[in-house]
Amino acid sequence: MTAAAAPRLPAILGTIRPRPRGRETRLLLLVGLTILVGSVSLELAGRVTDPGESAGLSPANPTHLAIYLGLIALAHVALILSGRRVDQILLPATAMLGGISLLLMERLPQSQVVQTVGPWKLGLGDIQLAWLVLSFGLATVLAITVRNDRWLRLYKYTWAAAGVALLLATYLLGDDINGQRLSLSLGPISGQPAELLKVILVVFLAGYLSEYRPLLVEESTKVGPISLPPVPFLAPMAAMWAIALGLVVVQRDLGAALLFFTVFLFLLYAATGRLGYVVLGVLLFLAGSWVMYHLVHTVQTRVDIWLDPFASPTGDGYQIVQALYAFARGGLLGTGLGAGLPTVGGRLPIPAVHTDFPLAALGEELGMVGVMAILGLFLVVVERGLRIAASAADEFRALLAAGLALVIGTQALIIVAGNLKLIPLTGITLPFVSYGGSSLLVNGIIVGLLLALSDRGVEPPPPPRQPSRFARLTGRVTRPETPAAARAPLPPAAPLQPGGTEG
Amino acid sequence: MDPFLVTVWVVRLLFLGLLYLFLFRIARALVGDLRAAAREPGAELGRLVVVASPGGEPVEGSSLPLDAIATIGRDVNNAIVVDDQFVSAEHAILTFRGRAWYAEDLGSTNGTFVNGAPVEGVVPLGFGDVVQVGQVKLRLERPRPPTRR
Repeated sequence: MTAAAAPRLPAILGTIRPRPRGRETRLLLLVGLTILVGSVSLELAGRVTDPGESAGLSPANPTHLAIYLGLIALAHVALILSGRRVDQILLPATAMLGGISLLLMERLPQSQVVQTVGPWKLGLGDIQLAWLVLSFGLATVLAITVRNDRWLRLYKYTWAAAGVALLLATYLLGDDINGQRLSLSLGPISGQPAELLKVILVVFLAGYLSEYRPLLVEESTKVGPISLPPVPFLAPMAAMWAIALGLVVVQRDLGAALLFFTVFLFLLYAATGRLGYVVLGVLLFLAGSWVMYHLVHTVQTRVDIWLDPFASPTGDGYQIVQALYAFARGGLLGTGLGAGLPTVGGRLPIPAVHTDFPLAALGEELGMVGVMAILGLFLVVVERGLRIAASAADEFRALLAAGLALVIGTQALIIVAGNLKLIPLTGITLPFVSYGGSSLLVNGIIVGLLLALSDRGVEPPPPPRQPSRFARLTGRVTRPETPAAARAPLPPAAPLQPGGTEG
Repeated sequence: MDPFLVTVWVVRLLFLGLLYLFLFRIARALVGDLRAAAREPGAELGRLVVVASPGGEPVEGSSLPLDAIATIGRDVNNAIVVDDQFVSAEHAILTFRGRAWYAEDLGSTNGTFVNGAPVEGVVPLGFGDVVQVGQVKLRLERPRPPTRR
């Protein structure tokens, strides 16, 4: 074969130069081993309990595990072949979370979710496996193909508009489930657009904050002893606040509202390093919460349940009370995978355990030790994200990476704290663990983008943008009024003179 | 003691043990990364990447780590020496004050430009901004982190 006949890849992939990823290989082997032992544990638990009790327990399906682990191995090989120097810890950490999720979904009663696709009748485990496969597939494709960030950076307002459109579409065309209008059906496919909105929000905030950071840092308006941001820049904070409140009032989506606002404050602090903004944001949040508590019935119910779930242990407080019992039964080491109570008689003591309370089920079966390990995995994901942010080439990429990681971390924090009755319960998913297609896909996108951003060999950031309206508004930064001036080889209007020695 | 029950519990504890072994391996990798970061002498605050340099000094494409105060000019006593006939001996100064970078022109003959706009007084710089002195263009980038590899 001559050199000219050597296989050529599409331009987007560049030439193949495989690069070994030893650390990732070792960690993934450990993931595979752990998940296999977990499935054995699940299998044995099925034999231990007497047949009457384990009616609802479905044994782990070895084919499912093989498919899942095979896919992770495939993703690993693809990353090696791509030759990109991307992070080696993110994939094993999330693969472990996904594996635990698969074990849990295999183990819960399959009748929780049943969908018929063609000739097949799919249960909870089947569907979760399908979404996990799609999610990690998407992450790998993004990690390999995303070579520049222009499509995110330059169109931040377009992305923001798309996000708002998505929200409006959900409101106008969405389906009501449990009094919340969150999902949008498009033919046979239905999804929760609010999930995608998380990513769009981070992209927009990263673009906005990186552009105006110097001004946000420098300027301030004094109100008494507190120094506030300059008035024009208060607008985005007010807008975020309004969107969060709007989500609560219109969609009854407390979880998303809390998540969005928290991530916004995190990013604002990350970009400016000013505590004043955070204090202001928290005050706004408290004021908003107080108003919402008195205005919106859902909020009031949630808070009342949180304050005293035992006031109606069989009514409103049932879910959280059962979750607390599950944690208590788990104790330190847990009852063992598959030996918990969530399946007694095929009936679920905790409603919606597969979406809102996976941690309670895991807490029962793996105990506090297991829950700590799962929290540790989320911590690892966040650490990697922040590390990628710290090593990014410019503001936009740093804020994007930090924001994406913080979305996962904050979401886990909110739902875990909700499950443990540390804060009022809000119905959002535990990233990578909960059942749910939209959530898994979006988490896949987040991991894919983080991996792509972690590669230092990506294209250098594009040159800064033309002067912005806000910058000119404040008059602090003078930039050329016409793009032509910036394109000229030597901007000064006056002819250049040799500098000489006079200085 | 039922041997089967013992096996079950051994497998259960093995699962938890493997979870922690996994976390431990990751933690070791992370600590290794942090150690490597700590070994790096004098954390830099930013760096300048040379975008265009017709004179050849500094070399185009090279990147220069910055201290908190970096003077730019043709004189050899500057932190960043620029060999260009349109650059003054002491041309401009970049300073890192607290949280952000600022650029200031030191009364040069041909002026200093940030993203094409002339610098008057002290101008805040963002990472990614391009500073131009004479014909030389320098892009301010975030400090490069130390890596293990």
